[in-house]
Amino acid sequence: MSALDIIGVRKRYGTVDTLKGIDLSLDSGEFLVLLGPSGCGKSTLLNIIAGLAEPTGGDVRIDDRSVVGVHPKDRDIAMVFQSYALYPNMSVERNIGFGLEMRKVPAAERAEAVKTAAKILQIENLLERRPSELSGGQRQRVAIGRALVRNPQVFLFDEPLSNLDAKLRMEMRTELKRLHQMLGTTVVYVTHDQIEAMTLATRIAVMRNGQIEQLATPAEIYERPTTLYVAGFVGSPSMNMLDAHIADGVARIDSSDVVIPLPYETSAKGRPDQKLVLGIRPESLRLASDGEAPAFEANVEVVELTGPELVISATVGQQRITASLSPKSDIQAGTRRRFALDADALHIFDKETEKRL
Amino acid sequence: MSSSWINTRAWLLMLPLLIVMVAVIGWPLIDTVRLSFTDAKLVGTSGNFVGFDNYLKMLSNSGFQRAFLTTTWFAVISVTAEMVVGVAAALLLNQQFYGRTVLRALMILPWALPTVVNATLWRLIYNPEYGALNAALTQIGLLDAYRSWLGEPGTALAALILADTWKNFPLVALIALAALQAVPRDITSAAMVDGAGAWSRFRFVILPYLAGPLMVALVLRTIEAFKVFDIIWVMTRGGPANSTRTLSILVYQEAFSFQRAGSGASLALMVTLMVTVLAAIYATVIRKTAGAN
Repeated sequence: MSALDIIGVRKRYGTVDTLKGIDLSLDSGEFLVLLGPSGCGKSTLLNIIAGLAEPTGGDVRIDDRSVVGVHPKDRDIAMVFQSYALYPNMSVERNIGFGLEMRKVPAAERAEAVKTAAKILQIENLLERRPSELSGGQRQRVAIGRALVRNPQVFLFDEPLSNLDAKLRMEMRTELKRLHQMLGTTVVYVTHDQIEAMTLATRIAVMRNGQIEQLATPAEIYERPTTLYVAGFVGSPSMNMLDAHIADGVARIDSSDVVIPLPYETSAKGRPDQKLVLGIRPESLRLASDGEAPAFEANVEVVELTGPELVISATVGQQRITASLSPKSDIQAGTRRRFALDADALHIFDKETEKRL
Repeated sequence: MSSSWINTRAWLLMLPLLIVMVAVIGWPLIDTVRLSFTDAKLVGTSGNFVGFDNYLKMLSNSGFQRAFLTTTWFAVISVTAEMVVGVAAALLLNQQFYGRTVLRALMILPWALPTVVNATLWRLIYNPEYGALNAALTQIGLLDAYRSWLGEPGTALAALILADTWKNFPLVALIALAALQAVPRDITSAAMVDGAGAWSRFRFVILPYLAGPLMVALVLRTIEAFKVFDIIWVMTRGGPANSTRTLSILVYQEAFSFQRAGSGASLALMVTLMVTVLAAIYATVIRKTAGAN
């Protein structure tokens, strides 16, 4: 049974359409990440689910009950905010228990629930403190505890890790994943960080300009992005996008003499001279051994060792490509080298429609 | 540069101001203290030294005791009303609605008007023959016949308190509004999701943000209300039957109407002392609240 259904949700602020018709269905226990740059409408969608904003059109159903017009407190949701939104005048204990206090849960029961949540989050020793006496990571745990203690149908997270420093962010990411695996809760999580999305989600909705560009599992988003936008948004370093066109059944990379064979379906469907964008993930490139094909030559310009990998910047004709190689690769800047790729590592997009072919 | 020269230069730079302050505040204050121990008249004799006579007479004088009670009553009721109405107005003006900016600007008007203008307006409203209050109350049937609101000892002080509240609530509202705008949106959203109704959100989440700034408003308004003179002088001159005679009015009458400079001075110093005590209490409270946060 689906825990959350979003049906044709639209939102208009003045003359601006922030959401242009969103359809989503979330099974119980799923971890859905809304991924996109700022201004894509992901936070608006989250606020609409929470009841902090009302949709201009469409329906939101939680546990198969329409919640449009229902007060946030009656929606059976809990929310974790980017700024943590802890009540500064209350102790950690009261912060966590406030939702229960407002719902008139008896004090003893409340204390028990707070204790359990604090134990799960390892903040039992902080219960007496005020938020101002906590570090960023501790505040975040308290904010999560406040949501946890309510045991709602759906958890909503609004960029919860973006105020933390890089190391803490990684720790909390793992912590969130652990919590989700342990509790099996249904989560909608907003972020602009593709690593967070890839690591946490059971499904990702990549959003752009108030629409869902692609809704799929992290693996599918990574391996089969359906549009150029999704291809460029997910992956680090981001995917190489080479302008090319179809000539004699193969792809010829613009401003170079490099040709790359196309899969039969693509070349059969393609028009002669059709403009393409060839997407190649940096990590699917490798140094070619003698006679290996498909392969192409490139001028190596910069070699950077990041530790686990060697990042190469090179040019093919006028176009720039990046390759992530093994750190032990024997390669120097200023040389000309051949790079090989597997045929199935090629993502082919139509340049005009920006859609996958 | 040596530190002694920096010190000297600092004093030199402050010297003109110090001279002015001593001339217009220091000297008159000292002379008032001297006067309060004499039986000096405003004109004529420079008076004889009478020791604590003025103070002792004053404390046992029923006029003084009554003025003290009137002042306290005026200050407590009007400041309380200003705080409540001011915060309510701020909460209202913090909502999103069409015409909010215009309303915010309009709200400041009573406070921005000179007290004399404000007091004159209220005298017109309270006028026993053609006042708007009488007209309104009789028309909606709450009143049988026109009354002289400022002419009856039973209603004059209440009428003054209403006028003073009207004039001064915008200051409280302005301070509260500024504080409200500092309440993070996420916090009130979180409280909504947590299930807090409007009253709980105000009581548990918003009010703690307002406490500090409101304390400042409370201090300012209490001290001012305790010293109140102008609005009463314009509207009732302390009457009828001394029912609105506050300490400041009493000081004025004693020193200038009855021309008893000596006892007027002792009265004025008493008021100063009371206000100083109030200010000291508040300063302590504010330091404690600031420390608690």
